[in-house]
Amino acid sequence: MLVTIKNATKIYGQHKALSNVSFELREGEVHCLVGENGAGKSTLTKILSGAITPESGSIILGGVEHKSLTPRQAIELGVSTVYQEAELIESLTVADNIFLGDERLSHVPLVVDTRAQNEKAAALIRSLRLNLKEDAIVEGLSSAQKQMLQIVKALYREAKVIIMDEPTSSLGLEETNSLMNLIRDLKAKGIGIIYISHYLEEIFEIGDTITILKDGESMGTFPIQTIDMETVIRKMVGRDASLFYTKETVALGPVQVQLEHLCRKDVVDDVSFDVRAGEIFGLGGLVGSGRSELVNLIFGADRKDSGEILINGEALTIRSPYDAVRAGICLITEDRKKLAMFTPRSVVENIAIVHNERYEPPVLSLGRERRRVRDMVQRLSIAVTDEEEQTIAELSGGNQQKAIIGRWLLSDARLYIFDEPTKGVDVGARSEIFRIMVELAKAGKSIIMVSSDMPELMSMSDRIGVMRGGRLTHILERRDVTEETLIKNFIGVLS
Amino acid sequence: MNRAGAIFREQWFFLLIVEAALAVVTGLINPRFFGLNNIENILEQVSVLGLVAAGATLLMISGNFDISVGANIGISACVMAIMIKAGYGYVPSVILGIVLATFNAFFVGASSILFKAPSFIISLACIGIFRGIALAFTKGVLQLIYGKFEFLGTKRFFNIIPLLFIISIAGYLIIHAILKYMKLGRRAFAIGSNVQATYLAGIPINLNKLIFFIINGLLVGTAATLLLSRIGAAQPSTGSGIELQAIGAVVIGGTPMTGGRGKVIGTFFGVLLTGIISNALNMLQVNPYFQDVAIGALIIVSLAVSAFSQRRA
Repeated sequence: MLVTIKNATKIYGQHKALSNVSFELREGEVHCLVGENGAGKSTLTKILSGAITPESGSIILGGVEHKSLTPRQAIELGVSTVYQEAELIESLTVADNIFLGDERLSHVPLVVDTRAQNEKAAALIRSLRLNLKEDAIVEGLSSAQKQMLQIVKALYREAKVIIMDEPTSSLGLEETNSLMNLIRDLKAKGIGIIYISHYLEEIFEIGDTITILKDGESMGTFPIQTIDMETVIRKMVGRDASLFYTKETVALGPVQVQLEHLCRKDVVDDVSFDVRAGEIFGLGGLVGSGRSELVNLIFGADRKDSGEILINGEALTIRSPYDAVRAGICLITEDRKKLAMFTPRSVVENIAIVHNERYEPPVLSLGRERRRVRDMVQRLSIAVTDEEEQTIAELSGGNQQKAIIGRWLLSDARLYIFDEPTKGVDVGARSEIFRIMVELAKAGKSIIMVSSDMPELMSMSDRIGVMRGGRLTHILERRDVTEETLIKNFIGVLS
Repeated sequence: MNRAGAIFREQWFFLLIVEAALAVVTGLINPRFFGLNNIENILEQVSVLGLVAAGATLLMISGNFDISVGANIGISACVMAIMIKAGYGYVPSVILGIVLATFNAFFVGASSILFKAPSFIISLACIGIFRGIALAFTKGVLQLIYGKFEFLGTKRFFNIIPLLFIISIAGYLIIHAILKYMKLGRRAFAIGSNVQATYLAGIPINLNKLIFFIINGLLVGTAATLLLSRIGAAQPSTGSGIELQAIGAVVIGGTPMTGGRGKVIGTFFGVLLTGIISNALNMLQVNPYFQDVAIGALIIVSLAVSAFSQRRA
C-alpha cells in the first residue's frame, strides 16, 4: 500500500469539511475522487500534500504513521500535486523549472550548468514520449503542456504519488487523450495517482478505483468495474430532508428583468433569460462554469461584449457598477472579504455607504445615518454591540454577510443578485438570509441567486438555470428537479 | 469598550502625554522653553508643516502619496515671489501661486490614474520636473521680497496667537470635516481600505482620487504662501524635505501607510511632536544635525508601536 489515510476529519469553524474519511492507494493504481463542489475532495488531497492539518485521523505514508504532514515532508515522501493553475515560473525554461531549487551546478561555483540540466530534462521528457521542448520558455506553453511539465517535475523528484485535481478542465479533447496516455505510462511505472474530476467519462476510462464523497463523508469505495455511472451519481446526491428549507410560496408578478444574448469572450456565451417580479432565479453549475462571470456582466463589474439588459422593458446602459447601482441592480458578491468589506471601518460606515452615495447630500447627517443603520441592524438581527465603534471585521462571518446584505437593502433596487449568499455562514444566519430573500421576493423584487449548495439552490429557486462552459444549457422548473437530474445537468451526463 | 476607555487606545492621546512629558523635562532644564516667545515660535514653525501634513493625511487614508509637495512649494513660492517683486500685487500673486500648486497636484494625480502607476512613483518623478522648471525660470537666483509680504507671517492676534497657526488649524479642521462629516471622506476611507469593494459599491475611484489630489494641492499652495510670507524669500529648494516630515508626522499620528484608517487629530499631535522635539533639542543646545536623527527615530518608534498594537488586536 502506498498511502493509507485513516478516519481523517477536518473542521473549518462550524463546518465539517471532512468527516471520518478513510482512503487507500496502491502502486500503479488510479484512484478517482468524485463529488459535488465542496464535497471534500480537495480537502482530502490537501491533507496528503501537507497543505492542511486534520483535526483527527492519521496518514500512513512510506510505512510510517503520521498525525499530519508538512508540505516539505509530503514532497520528501514522494507526494506531488499537479494543480489546475500551474505553479510554475513563467519566465524560466522548461528545464529550469524542473530543476528549480535543486539546480545542477557547473565547476564554476554558483553558476548553473544549463547544458547538463537540459540534457537530463530532455531524457526525462523523451522517456514519457511528451511533446515538450526542454529549452522552451514556460510562458509560451499551452495549459496542457504546463500540466505535463508539472508531471515531469514530479517524476524528477521521484514522486510515488501524484495528485491531479481537475487536470482536464482546461484541456481540449486531443490534449485530454495525451494526458490519459501519460497516466497509463505512469501506472506502468508503479506510480499511484489520485485523480479528481467532474467528468465521469474520464473516470470510467482511466480509473481503477473510485471513492465517492458527499458533504465531507465517504459514500464508499468501489472497483470501477463493479459500479456504473448512474449509481455513482445517485451516491453523490440524496441528502437529508433537514437540509432543505421550506420556502414560502410567493406569487409571481410580470416579467421584470430581461437578459438578452449576453456575451463576453471566453467566459459567457450568449446567455438569455427573464426573471419575473417576486421570482428567485437560481443559477447552478460547476465551479468555473461561468456563473459568477455572468452576474459580474449584469452588474457591470466586467464589460460585456454584446447583449442587452432590460428592466421593466427599458434597456439599460450599464458600463460600470456605478451605472448598475443607479439602474436598480445590486450584487452581493461571493467573496465578501475581498469584494465587499471595508475591513478597518465601522459597521455603520460599511452598511451606510451605498445609501449615502445614492441618496445623501455631500455633507452627511450622522444622526440620521446612525438611526438608519440601527433600524437595519435590528431588521436583520445583526449581532453587534456598538455599530459605530466596532469594525465589521470584529463580527462573525454570518453577521458580516448580513451587514453586507443590509448595505444593499438600503439602496432601492429591482434586481438583487446574490452570489453564494450563505457561503461560510452558520445555520442560524443561513435561514435568516433565506428569510430576507423571501421578503424581497414578496416586495416584488427579482432575485438571481448563484449557488453551489445543492439544497439551497433547490429550496430557494423558483427556476434553476444550469450553466456549463459559459452557456446557459437548461432552465429547469423547481417541481421537475431532483438532485440527481441537477448534477447530471451540471456535468453534462444526460441519459 | 466604553468611550472613556477608548480614549486610551487613541494614538493622539499617547502623543499628547509624550509631548507633555517632553515639555516638562525641557522646561526644567531650560525654563526659557515655556516663555511666550518660544511657544509662539514653536506654533509658527509647525504651521506650514501642519497644512502639508493635513493634506497628506487625506491622501494617505485613501492609499495615495504625494512626495512632490516640497518641490511644489518651491515652484509656487518662486512664482509668487517673482510676481510680487514685479509689482503685480499680493492678491493676484497669491491666487496664481495657489492655482499653480493645485494644478501641479492635479497633474500628479492625473498621471498616476492615466498611467496606472502608484502615485508614490509618479510624484517622485514630479519632484525633478517641478524643481527643474523652477530652477530654469529663476536661473537659480534667490527671490528676495523682504519687507513686502510680511502681513501673513508676522500678524499675531492679541499679540499672542500667530495668524499662521490659525490658518494651519483651519486646514486641519477642513480635512477633519471632510473625513468625519462628508461623503468624500467616507470615500477616502473606503478606497484606502478596499479599492475593489469601493468600485463594486458604485463609487467612481478615479474621480475621487483626483479630488483628493486637488484638495491636497490647495493646502500645499496655502502652505507655500505662508512660508513665503514668513521667510520673505523663495528659491527652488524652498520647502524641500517637507514631504518626508509630513508623511512622518502622519505616520506618527497613527495613520498607517496602507491607508483605510487615520485621524487628523493624530496628525496634529504628530506635527506638534516633531516641532517640540526640534525646539527642545535647540533649547538643550544639541547639535542641530541630531534633529533629523531624532525625527527619523521617532517615525520608526511610532511604526513599531502601531505594529505591536495591531498584533495584539
